[in-house]
Amino acid sequence: MGERLLTVDRLSTHFFTYAGVVKAVNGVSFTLDRKETLGIVGESGSGKTVAALSLMRLIPDPPGKVVEGSLMLGDRDLRTLRDEEMRQVRGNDIAMIFQDPMTSLNPVLKIGNQIAEAIMLHQDKGKREAWRLAAKLLDRVGIPDAEKRVNQYPFEFSGGMRQRAMIAMAISCNPDILIADEPTTALDVTIQAQIIDVIEEMQQAYESGVILITHDLGVIAEIADKVMVMYGGRTVEYGGIDEIFYNPHHPYTWGLLGSLPRLDEIEKTRLTPILGQPPDLISLPSGCPFVGRCLYERPECRDQWPELEIVGPEHGVHCWIPEAERREVRASLPHFQEYVR
Amino acid sequence: MPDRDTSGKQATEDLTISTVSERDLIEDKLVGRKPLGLWADTWRRLKRNHLAVVGLCIVVVFLAIGMTEEIGNFTPNGYLAPYDPNATNYEISPRGLGSPPSWSHPFGADYLGRDVFSRTLVATRISMLVGVIAVAIALIIGLILGPISGYYGGWVDSVIMRTADVFFAFPYILFVLLIMTVLGPGLWNVFMAIGILSWATYARLNRGSVLSVKAMEYVEAARAQGASDLRIIFRHVLPNTMAPVYVAIAMGIGGAIVTEAALSFLGIGIQPPNASWGKMISDYLSYLAAGSWWMLTFPSVFLTVTVFGFISFGNGLRDATDPKLKE
Amino acid sequence: MITYIVRRLFQLVIVLIGVTIITFVIMFAIPGDPARQLAGKNATPERIAAIRLQLGLDKPVPVQYFKFVGRLIHGDLGESYQLQRPVTQMIRENAPNTIQLALAAVLIELLGIPLGIYSALRQYTFWDTTLTTAALIIWGIPVFVLGLFMQWFFGLKLNLLPLIGAGDNVLWVIPANYNSFASLILPAVTLGLIEVAYISYMQRAAMLEVIRSDYIRTARAKGLSERKVVMKHAFKNAIIPVMTIAGIDLGALMGGAILTETVFARPGIGLMIYQAIGARDLPVVAGGVLFATLIYVFANLFVDLGYAWVDPRIRLEG
Repeated sequence: MGERLLTVDRLSTHFFTYAGVVKAVNGVSFTLDRKETLGIVGESGSGKTVAALSLMRLIPDPPGKVVEGSLMLGDRDLRTLRDEEMRQVRGNDIAMIFQDPMTSLNPVLKIGNQIAEAIMLHQDKGKREAWRLAAKLLDRVGIPDAEKRVNQYPFEFSGGMRQRAMIAMAISCNPDILIADEPTTALDVTIQAQIIDVIEEMQQAYESGVILITHDLGVIAEIADKVMVMYGGRTVEYGGIDEIFYNPHHPYTWGLLGSLPRLDEIEKTRLTPILGQPPDLISLPSGCPFVGRCLYERPECRDQWPELEIVGPEHGVHCWIPEAERREVRASLPHFQEYVR
Repeated sequence: MPDRDTSGKQATEDLTISTVSERDLIEDKLVGRKPLGLWADTWRRLKRNHLAVVGLCIVVVFLAIGMTEEIGNFTPNGYLAPYDPNATNYEISPRGLGSPPSWSHPFGADYLGRDVFSRTLVATRISMLVGVIAVAIALIIGLILGPISGYYGGWVDSVIMRTADVFFAFPYILFVLLIMTVLGPGLWNVFMAIGILSWATYARLNRGSVLSVKAMEYVEAARAQGASDLRIIFRHVLPNTMAPVYVAIAMGIGGAIVTEAALSFLGIGIQPPNASWGKMISDYLSYLAAGSWWMLTFPSVFLTVTVFGFISFGNGLRDATDPKLKE
Repeated sequence: MITYIVRRLFQLVIVLIGVTIITFVIMFAIPGDPARQLAGKNATPERIAAIRLQLGLDKPVPVQYFKFVGRLIHGDLGESYQLQRPVTQMIRENAPNTIQLALAAVLIELLGIPLGIYSALRQYTFWDTTLTTAALIIWGIPVFVLGLFMQWFFGLKLNLLPLIGAGDNVLWVIPANYNSFASLILPAVTLGLIEVAYISYMQRAAMLEVIRSDYIRTARAKGLSERKVVMKHAFKNAIIPVMTIAGIDLGALMGGAILTETVFARPGIGLMIYQAIGARDLPVVAGGVLFATLIYVFANLFVDLGYAWVDPRIRLEG
């Protein structure tokens, strides 16, 4: 990969509500290099979106607050930037696209307007030129008839096209990092693949780093270079894509992989969902948040958060189960019978 | 609110604008409380809205005052009031201008020496009565026509909704005035007029809820069990669609009270011996210039406070049952 | 847009027909003897008979209805038995003052827009809580109570402004001299104040809802300044529902702010109706209500069309 773009160290974001403190993100660390794609995986409530929004400093305050951590973009810590400086970063150095393109685009402004304004803001270009660039960008992301489309309103676009327009908007200022928060979740399955392709293409063209947030492992499998698995606001496992898929070490990761239907299964095995409910983020245990749902937990799990354990090349996990035992258990799981090392 | 000259508000009842804040939304999403069931959930959210709680207290207090005659005798007069509201006492009204508030008469006495406090208290009953009965009439009509309209659709729906449109087309208070002119003043006429003219709001709300619920699975389940159409409507669909209606009821009672006050103020509402706040204000109007301010001030205050109570509670209820918060 | 306009006009026609039917029913079908009602309290039997003949009240009901509509189309709203004048003429005389009041009140109430926006943006601050609570309280004050208070306070106590009446106008609605203007102030402020409370509350609500939308988050994610986010993205969306309300208000007020005009003894459609009520002068009351309804219906129409124009979804797709 290329140069290191982003280093996030022990990010913690809490929400101070009437009912208590919601610890949405706790001590999450990751890095991102140029041309690299980091996939952040987890269920709703795992903190993945909050982590991304924290990066952009888009957490509403009150009630939210980034209470700890450093967010190094190059040699600058995003936490310490002044508001105007941070606004320079947004859209320009780091861009973000969101889950639902219908509600994420302003319904009363033309698409061209919404793309051009970012260009005019960050690249100091005039209106006419910005609109021209907007049309070019729409074309770039694969929207036919771009010249006409640029003058249309969001409701005149289909779901997939809207998401492409969002991508166009995001890359309009050549950001170093693109964050995509569940970009395909609101779209038809057939369109999903196209959007992923577009993201990949743009990444190649602009040589940016991509953070892809999703709960869909299939999407991760397609374009991620490395994966970070989150649960209950913490990172439970991270590693390269092959490592995670073929050598998963955390029980939650096993659960995620085990709940995927597989095309190559010879026998029809039942999907094994992960039993239980997501944790209440206000009353998180001080240990591993997966307690209560983990089939292999032991007494230490509830009270102490396990240290990082390296289990492979650039592959770490936080779990109290000793490695040897983990391998044993994993080998006995139906899902991994055939291919796990 | 129907009293006012700008009586177009009924149309805007359809605007589902809510004042729930971003913080409330985030908190609810994050806290992820399992819904405790419709009412516990609503109550929890309502409690956080202080203004609405105040409104609720006001509503309860005034409804209680209004119902004291049913509850029982508290004083020799049979009212909560210290004096007989109709007992005249010329001595304390020199020059026929009444007497200002004093220890024996906290709200003062009117031009006939009647105790203003007692009169105001008794007028509460009439006002509350009008509010509740008028809304009840409107509600009954609306609860019949609305669900029928929503459930059957087609031309039944069109006819009922077009008729509702026509009722909405009239500026509310003028409409009521017109009917009262023809019917003549009197308590029952007031009930009827306000009640019959307000049905459209409730019908529309009900219909909207019925439409959205109609597609839901439990209706299918009930039908699968062979329940008749009517049964489906009233036992399965209706109970789940009532939330906006409760809001409308709260606002509606407030509105009916104000409308009655306006009618009585204009001289075409309640007639003696009944007294309502509006009538009192109208009766005592001419004494204002002569300096006897207390006679109409207290009924005005009671009226304002009551309406405020219903509005605040209604608003709070609307926010507390806001579907956008139902995750 | 065209589809929408056509649909809307179709609905307009149906509503107008419905309005005439209901008015007809109220005037002619409910009371015991419509002829007596319309002739007035002190009418002689001959007069009553004459009215019965003139309005065709001896004919079957549907015929009566069509005669009624026929008269409406010719602008004949009947005659006030109290004043022995055609109702239409009375309306024509009283309308300007009412329109003047309506315009003034709406101009004042537009102040609610910046207030509401400001309140929404400063949520949780002392200012917001105060404004919102004040708005709710004022909104709940019955308009005639507020009017009385204004009269008492500004008129009697402070002796600043006239209590009652109205002055001359030029150009139909503009006050011709200071006296005229002064007598407009209290009624307009009374109406306007309550409406400002309502509008600011609604505007705040609309703004709050808009500001937590996904597209606002997107706008911020692009690095736009908060000011730009609010003014360009939020404002345009938040103001639409409020402009709708203001438009409807204008229509409603034009029809006759009866309570305000009564309290301030201000000549206008409202006062005209009030005076007719006392005398049970049905033609005037019905005529006035019909006039007000007509204006209200058209105001609603224009507001709907305006809304359709502003919302690109309707404008382009119909």
